[in-house]
Order: sequence, then C-alpha cells, then structure tokens
Amino acid sequence: MVEIIVFAVCAAIVLVGAVGVIAARNPVHSALFLIQTLFGMAVLFISLEAHFLAAVQVVVYAGAIVILFLFVIMLLGVDQAEDLNIEPIVGQRFIAFIVGAATFVLMVATLAGSSDAITGQRQATGPLGDELTDNNNVRELAEALFTDYVFAFEATAILLTIAVVGAVVLAKRTSGEMLPVPQNTLEIREADYQARVDARAAELEANAAAAAEAGEDGSAEASSAAASDDDTADDEMADAEGGDA
Amino acid sequence: MDFSAALPVADVVAFNRPAIDWHAASPELILLGFGALLTLVDVIFLDRAKQYTAALAGIGLLVTMVPILTLANDMSETGPRVMFDGAYVIDEFSLIMKAIFILSGYVVILLSTNYIAEGDYWESEYYGLMLSAILGMVVMASSRDLISIFVAFELLSIPSYMLATWKKRSLESNEAGLKYYLMGVFASAIMLYGMSLLFGASGETILTKVNASLSSDPLTGESLSSSTPVLTLAVIFVIVGFAFKVSAAPFHNWAPDTYSGAPIPVTAFLAVASKIAGFVALVQLVFVGFYARADVFQPLMWILAAASMIIGNLIALRQTDIVRLMAYSGVAQAGFILAPLAVAGDVGDQALASIVSYLAIYAAMNLGAFAVILAAARKTGSTSIESMNGLFSYAPGLAVAMTIFMFALAGIPPLGGWFAKFQIFFAVVEQGGTWAIILGVLLAVNSVIALYYYASVARRIWADQAPDGDLTPIRIPPSLGAALVLTVVATLVFGFLPGAVSQFTDVGLIAGG
Repeated sequence: MVEIIVFAVCAAIVLVGAVGVIAARNPVHSALFLIQTLFGMAVLFISLEAHFLAAVQVVVYAGAIVILFLFVIMLLGVDQAEDLNIEPIVGQRFIAFIVGAATFVLMVATLAGSSDAITGQRQATGPLGDELTDNNNVRELAEALFTDYVFAFEATAILLTIAVVGAVVLAKRTSGEMLPVPQNTLEIREADYQARVDARAAELEANAAAAAEAGEDGSAEASSAAASDDDTADDEMADAEGGDA
Repeated sequence: MDFSAALPVADVVAFNRPAIDWHAASPELILLGFGALLTLVDVIFLDRAKQYTAALAGIGLLVTMVPILTLANDMSETGPRVMFDGAYVIDEFSLIMKAIFILSGYVVILLSTNYIAEGDYWESEYYGLMLSAILGMVVMASSRDLISIFVAFELLSIPSYMLATWKKRSLESNEAGLKYYLMGVFASAIMLYGMSLLFGASGETILTKVNASLSSDPLTGESLSSSTPVLTLAVIFVIVGFAFKVSAAPFHNWAPDTYSGAPIPVTAFLAVASKIAGFVALVQLVFVGFYARADVFQPLMWILAAASMIIGNLIALRQTDIVRLMAYSGVAQAGFILAPLAVAGDVGDQALASIVSYLAIYAAMNLGAFAVILAAARKTGSTSIESMNGLFSYAPGLAVAMTIFMFALAGIPPLGGWFAKFQIFFAVVEQGGTWAIILGVLLAVNSVIALYYYASVARRIWADQAPDGDLTPIRIPPSLGAALVLTVVATLVFGFLPGAVSQFTDVGLIAGG
C-alpha cells in the first residue's frame, strides 16, 4: 500500500515537472522544473532500493548538471520569455515534436505488446547486492572506495582542492593593463607555419625512402617505384614553396 | 518495500582496514604536507611570508628525498612493496623516477625563485601548485592500475594548466594556458574512453590483470594470438592520450605555443618533468598492462617515434625563437624516447633500461638549457635566437654552459646525451628486424639533423657579435647559479661516467604487484 502511494505521488511530481520544463515561458523556470523531475526520480530509485543511484541522481543531476544549465542560461542572458520564440534551426520544433511522439508510441507499443520483452522479467525481486551479509550497494561502493581504491580516492580529494585554489587565483582580477603581444610573435608564427609545410613534404619523402628500404629484394621495380615517389614528394615541396612565393 | 535499509543500520559490520605501508607512502605524504603548509602560511601571514615560500618549497622537496633514499636502501632486503592489491607498487623503477621528478622539481624551483619574485605573479600559490603537480608525478611513478594512473595524470595536469597561464596580464600566457588546457582535456577524454573499454572488456583495473585478460580469452582461457578489435582500439586510445602529454607528433601542436607563452620556469617544468611523467605512464602501461599485445603497441609506437623525430627536427630547423626551438627539439627527443617502445616486446629489459637512462640525462641537459635561456633573458628580455648572439663576449660562463647543453642534446661524446642516444640506438638495433633497422636508420639521420640546429645556436654564441655591442655582464642570482652548476655537473658526470647512471637505471622489468 505504502509502495503504491509513494509511486503515485512521485509519478505525479515527475510528470508535473516534465510538463513544466516544456511549458514554462521562462528558461530559468524550466530548469527548476527539471530539478523537480529529477528529485521525483530519485525517490522512485529509493523505492526500488537503488540507494546509490538515488544519491547520484540528486548530487550529480539535480545538483551539478542543472546548475550548469542555469549558469549557461544566465551567462548567455537568454532568461527572457521572448527569446523562446526564436527558432535557431528552421523546423526544429516540428522535428522535436515528431521525435518525441515517435518515442512515446514506441514505448507504449513495447509495454503493451509484451511487457517482459526487454529484460525477460516483469519485475526484479530481491535486494541488490550480497544477500548473505545483508550488504546493499551503498555499502559495497563505500567499502571499495575506502579499501582497494582509498589511495586514488584521497588523491582525488587533493585534486579538487587544488582545482579550487587555482580557479580562485585565475579568476581574481588583476590590476593594470594587459601586456602587449610582442611584435615579432606574428612573424614567428608565420615562419612556423611555413616550416610545418616543409616538414610535411620532407616527411613524405622520408616515408617513401623508408618504404623503398623496406623492399625485401631491392629489385629494379621497387627502386623505380621509390624514385617516382621521390618525384611526387619533390613536386609537393616545390608546390609548397611556390605557394609561399 | 523495506525502508530500513536506507537508514543507519544498527549491526556494525566489521570494516577491513586496508593495510597501508606508511614508509612506502611517506614521500607522497611529506609532499602533500608541504603543499598544504605553503597554502596555510600564505593565508595566515599574507605578504610577510612571500620571501620564504620558495625556500620552503625547496626544503619540502629535499625532505621528500629522505624517505626515497631509505626506501631504496631497504629495497635489497624487502623487495618491491605492494599496496592495495597491486594498485600501488614501490619498486626500483618507481623510486628512480620519483627521484628524477623531485630533483628536476627542485631545479625548477631554483629557476623560479627570482623570476617569480621579480615578476607580476602570485607567489605562494605558484609553489603550492608546483608541489602538487610534482606530487601527481610521484604518485604516477608507483601507480599500477588504471584508476590510480588516471587520477595521478589529472593531479599533475591540472596544476600545469594553471601554471602555464600564470603570467596573467600577458595575452600570450593566457593563450598558452587555454590551449594546453583544451588539448589536455581532449587527451584525457580519449584516454578515459580507452580505459573504460579496457575495463569493460577485462573487468579489471589492475594492470597485471588487464594484461592477463588481454593475452587470453576470458571465457575459455585460451591464449589469443591476436587482439580483438575493441581491445586494439582501447590500447590505441590510451596510448594516444599519453602521446599528447609527451608531445609526440602528430599530437604536438599545443607544445610550441604553450611553451613560448608560459613563464620560462613553467616551460622548463612542462618540457622536462611533465613530459617525463607522460613517459613513465607509457612505460608502465606498455611493460605491465599491454605487454601481451606487442602486435598492437609496437607498430603504433613505431609510427609515433618516426613521425615525432622527423616532424620535430625538420620544423626546429626553421625556428627563430629559442623557446620554440626547444619545443620542437623536445618533440624530436620524444621520438627518440618512444623508439625503444617500438621494440619493447622483444628486448624488454634493454628497452626499459635505455628509456630510464635517457629520461635521467634528458632532465639534466634540458633543464640546464632552460636555465641558460632564463639567465640570458634577464638581460636581453627576449627569447629570440638572435638575442643569444655573442653571449660569449659578455657572459663566458653562460656561453660555455649553453654549449655543453646544446652538444649534450645533440648527442656529442663525451657529454651526457651521447650515452643516452647510444643506448636507445643499441636497444633498437638489437631487435634486428627490418622495421627496427629502418627505425635505427631514422634515429641516426635525425641525430645529424638535430646537430645542425643545436650547433647553430652554439655558433651564434661564440662567433657572432652581441646585438648593439652591449657588453654589460649578466648578474646571475645565487639560486639560478646553483641550478646551472647542478645541471652542468650532472650533464658532464653522465657523459664521462656513464656507469654512474646505468648503475641506477639498470632496473629489471617493472614489478606488476
């Protein structure tokens, strides 16, 4: 009974959120509705005893990814309702509708046709994890993290701290003007580009020479082929130089 | 439905504490402690602590050498120390590489001391990030499973991205950092994809077990004569990810722009320590993780080595900026170091020993060259090759040092580089196959090409006139002088007494755990 009530409430939360994402006029509201949907899903995961997945759903999806969405929305300044009327790709709304409807029909057909077709089982029974020690998957993961992988785990902690320190230093505003780019930089880059063109031509030539050397018997046929390869490489080099002039 | 499982459980299941060998982990812990101390000192004392941060970082690195030496001393009795089911191994190879990382890190700190203090930089965070990057490298040298390798790779990369953009007011430095970051993240993603394929196919993260599953069918236990496509793809992706790090062609495009835009000590750090860390990871993967799949990694390494040597050397010929010259020469050097991996499946021990001694010598001579560039730029304020003209007429000491480093990099006896190049060449030719001989020929030809541009720098130093006839001597601060003396001595000792380096680098095959 409890299970059915929990499912019904969560399903309602998820569906209202999902409809809200596409119906809201303000992109920020859409992102908030998405969080609502993800939270509802997390509760459904708990009722399926997938506790770790539920935690990940909240921490990663609701916590991190939607926040990134919000960052992008606010950075680009598209948090106005009228921006939604612009269609960057012609016909994208129509195509999205078709794809969504097709997916829906496909899912309904799969469920109605044979509900056991996907996994071969209508529902999973029994807890996830090792029944003998009454372990659940959260504990299994925790044990793996703090025994076999504890070194990598602690190193990751250091890594995140360093990333924060570095981000603060880089984001901190500096006083004074930007330094000018040295005058010769552009010339250096141009010379660099020309050198790359030359190196490519010479590399082709060297490969041809290596291929000629690799020839087992060193017959006249192989050497003539190598000679013609050399010619093409020379031509390319000449072309490259001609292009520069 | 049972909600009780989600609540705290009353019956406490015994937690099997993993066995941690604190002696083996002490180098990492000391480095971490000093890194944290630097950050705290900065927060508490603010500007008053600035003058001590460089010294504190240097002391931290020297203290870290103590447990490495004691571990090396114990190695003959205890043998390799293995932790976490083989994920973390302390053996001869890892100790030697850790020592190389820490000593080259120390030289970089000596180079940074005045450069960072006199410039427009954030000081204590700089040294904190430098120590944490070195920590990542030290961890890398012991990592023998995919997860540890990836975390170590990120731990050494992320501080490097930020250090490359440390000259915050220079657009070039910003570009250097951004380019390095984007290419680095791209490489990480490719590598991670390869690792996930490896894990998916083998169900293991420990390198020795990955190797076992690469060599035999997981279901039937029969040995596989050739690899399945998905594993081939996985091996290639992982190797390509590290090829970015070591700037092997054709994945070298970030290197010249990053090197020339970053502050010079950071460039030295990227060109030496960071690159060696990439090679350490490659060596561990090839010799422990993929050793059964020589049919996949050998041709790949052959291509990477040949392309890096040819492209790096030919482009270096045309450079007008000494830092970009060093960047392309670094690409070519990467080709040299990759060459033994192309025959590693057949001449394992010899290939490994030759790579380790090359890395040790490469660190000394390359850091030295950057030290001279840094010292010369103190006067000229430029890194163009022309600014080196006539260096002998006003800074004879620097001129002699630069000549030593250039000829060492070119591999002229009796300086350090010749022994390194000789060993690489010997290992490659030893294998004796047609492709190995071709690679040997390419090594020889490229040594000659490289000699041309290294020698032309030396010619400018000795024969040309100083620009504008300005003969005021260069004032070299003590820390920079110490770095120069250290690197010159190391380059000369490695060259005159090759036994000194081969005695340490003659490591057996890496312990898998």
